[in-house]
Amino acid sequence: MISLIGFSSLCLSTFFSILFLIPNSIFKINIKFCLLFFRFSTILICISFSSLITAYITSDFSNFNVFQNSHSEKPLIYKIAGAWGNHEGSILLWLSMISIYGFLYSLMSKSLDDFKINVLKIQSSIFLIFAFFIIFTSNPFLVNSVEVNEGLGLNPILQDPALAIHPPMLYLGYVGFSLVFSLGIASLLSKNDDKNWLIETKRWSMISWTFLTAGIALGSYWAYYELGWGGWWFWDPVENISLMPWIVGLALVHSLIMTRGEQAIERWIIFLSILCFSLSILGTFLVRSGILTSVHSFASDASRGLFILLIFFLTTGFGLLVFLVKSPIKKNHLNLLLINKTSALIINNILMIIAMLTILLGTIYPIIIEVLTNTRISVGGPYFNSTVLPVLLPGFLLMSIAPVLSWQSNKIKKFRVYVVFFLFLSFLALIHSYFTVFNTWGFLGLILGSWIILASIISIILRFKFLISLNYIKSINSFIAHIGVGLMILGITFSSIYQKEYSFNISIGEEININNNILKLENIKVVENKNYQSLMAIFSLRKKGELIDYILPGKNYYPVSKMITTEAGIYHDWLKDIYITLGNEEDSTWNIKIYLNPLVSFIWIGVCIMIFSGFIAIFKK
Amino acid sequence: MRKIIKFVPLILLIVVCGFFLLFIIFEKDPSNPPSALLNKDMPKFSTSSLYNKNIKLSSDNLKKNVHLSVNTNVATTEDNLEKYTLINFFASWCTPCRAEHHLFFEIKEDYPNVFLLGISHKDSPADSKKYLNEEGNPYSFVGLDQNGKIALEFGVFGLPETFIINNDGKIIFKHMGQLTKKIIEDEISVFF
Repeated sequence: MISLIGFSSLCLSTFFSILFLIPNSIFKINIKFCLLFFRFSTILICISFSSLITAYITSDFSNFNVFQNSHSEKPLIYKIAGAWGNHEGSILLWLSMISIYGFLYSLMSKSLDDFKINVLKIQSSIFLIFAFFIIFTSNPFLVNSVEVNEGLGLNPILQDPALAIHPPMLYLGYVGFSLVFSLGIASLLSKNDDKNWLIETKRWSMISWTFLTAGIALGSYWAYYELGWGGWWFWDPVENISLMPWIVGLALVHSLIMTRGEQAIERWIIFLSILCFSLSILGTFLVRSGILTSVHSFASDASRGLFILLIFFLTTGFGLLVFLVKSPIKKNHLNLLLINKTSALIINNILMIIAMLTILLGTIYPIIIEVLTNTRISVGGPYFNSTVLPVLLPGFLLMSIAPVLSWQSNKIKKFRVYVVFFLFLSFLALIHSYFTVFNTWGFLGLILGSWIILASIISIILRFKFLISLNYIKSINSFIAHIGVGLMILGITFSSIYQKEYSFNISIGEEININNNILKLENIKVVENKNYQSLMAIFSLRKKGELIDYILPGKNYYPVSKMITTEAGIYHDWLKDIYITLGNEEDSTWNIKIYLNPLVSFIWIGVCIMIFSGFIAIFKK
Repeated sequence: MRKIIKFVPLILLIVVCGFFLLFIIFEKDPSNPPSALLNKDMPKFSTSSLYNKNIKLSSDNLKKNVHLSVNTNVATTEDNLEKYTLINFFASWCTPCRAEHHLFFEIKEDYPNVFLLGISHKDSPADSKKYLNEEGNPYSFVGLDQNGKIALEFGVFGLPETFIINNDGKIIFKHMGQLTKKIIEDEISVFF
């Protein structure tokens, strides 16, 4: 019954968006009335998605999708998360978000009615394409042909709080770019020269970028403690795919700053908007069609792959064609010869695009090679580390001073202060690397990360006003974001270069001494949980005889799907993480791996700061 | 010149989509050329265990029935049960290998009489050990192939690659790339 409601509201919603798309000249209806169609469609698709969630909550196994992906024993939160933990449900979520973004836009936009309708029409067309995709190839409301009392369970590796909200966050980011895309295309098609769309693009791209950042960070944090590989970024294809729109989004957000300097490079902004959304769809295509191997295993199907490829081709092709035909003619003469903000931003944009192309090449290279030579290869971390990082380095260097540069003139305010501090910092970094093991990347990361932080702090201090108000925070927002990036660079550098790894075979009661941290394996026990059994090792961490904390690495066994997942035990400290994974047992000794990851917390703190300043920037005029 | 630059994104799009399209069609193509080795005798090779260099295993061992006990002994038994050998080339640096790794535990559980031979390809023994510690070791025997010679004999293109060999030492199945549940159910389980 609930599936029927879901499917019929999905179809009705599609019907209303078709109605909305019919040109106004045929029916001659009021524009306000026209908007109603769009809003109806949004409400209906929300009903459709909530009925899928209801089916999951009530464990309605007459729905084939629920039967395949849920189990009545599962905790409530994972039942709900199950709704988007599979292909069909997640595409429905994607579809609802397209509509919701349009809905919010229609409420909040202060643009002229004509422009607004144009944006919503493009948004609605994207909605239609995906709606047909759902109805014809991946319907989540199919009826189960057999009578069953129990479902087949959700992939246990996905039963995790961080992962329950990871896909919606990521999708909010991806789909948000659809609105940015619509805005860009609509501005190409519009006849009058209203610049309001730039302000709107700025706001919506900031929102999407912030959500995307949060989504990627959540996924990465999940990989850190759940996969038990001791790292948090693996250059896995799916990770790369989410990174590409993120980088382009970052470039977009930065180019939009230039509207403040009244040197808007509209053509470039529109191009980036198109690129952002098409990379988002490309990501969906590569993941959903299963033509790339990664830890994200979804059921894949060639016909679906073809369909999404078609969507990708149509949307991007349409965008680029409109861009070719209607691209703005007005030329802005940018003053790029000087050391000013505009040229810094242009260089930053170019670097980001190069980085994106490098990642794109590495990600699809295996596909190209397989088509051409019938050989299967895999491109891994070493390629990305040695190609992407050098591209980003000059960008980081630029980043530290860019906010201080002026828009028009060639001067840097308080030039000397920066130079003195930079020299001082390089000296410190040199001493640091002299006393520890010298490593080029470590040295560069240390110097760049701390320089970005220091330069931003100097700038904040130089602008300091005694009154701390929201406006003040808004004015130093870019520096705050850059401090976040600096912290992240420090975290990345230290956790990857100075990571220490130990492997031990120990039995219960034994102690290990690592840098004066005494780890004792107290006990190993088996705990029965609602839908899984967990084997847990209890380590006590002592320092100078004092008990600091217990670390609990373990393994979970999910009887429904017969899968074992590793649960890393992590002791978080501001300066280092002690990360333990439990291996196999042999003759009552356990194989354990211990990683000392220095400064990992900096990465998460840095990301949180970036997200925070992203939210601040949304409200910035 | 400017005009050409304008078209670059569009051309790139078409090229990339073309490749994807070819890839999808190509995957579905039944005339996907079978390996030249299929239904031929497996190449002769000899390898030593990852865990103990003194324990050797050669291709002759596989033809007869190899009795397995975890990574320590390889003995030949005389019973005439049908036994198959599954050879999987893996390495710690290969992400698809990690992704397919858990499937071998399922094979091991579902078909206990299959001898799972893992060959660590162009990988340092320390890294392979670390990898198997992290992911678990489903293999009955882990052989070393540090210089890639065995893989060359088998015509391995890239990792991972999986072969199935029957009792007479003939290669009866070959799969390039990551195994999936579907492949195991549809193509591999028919042998066992």
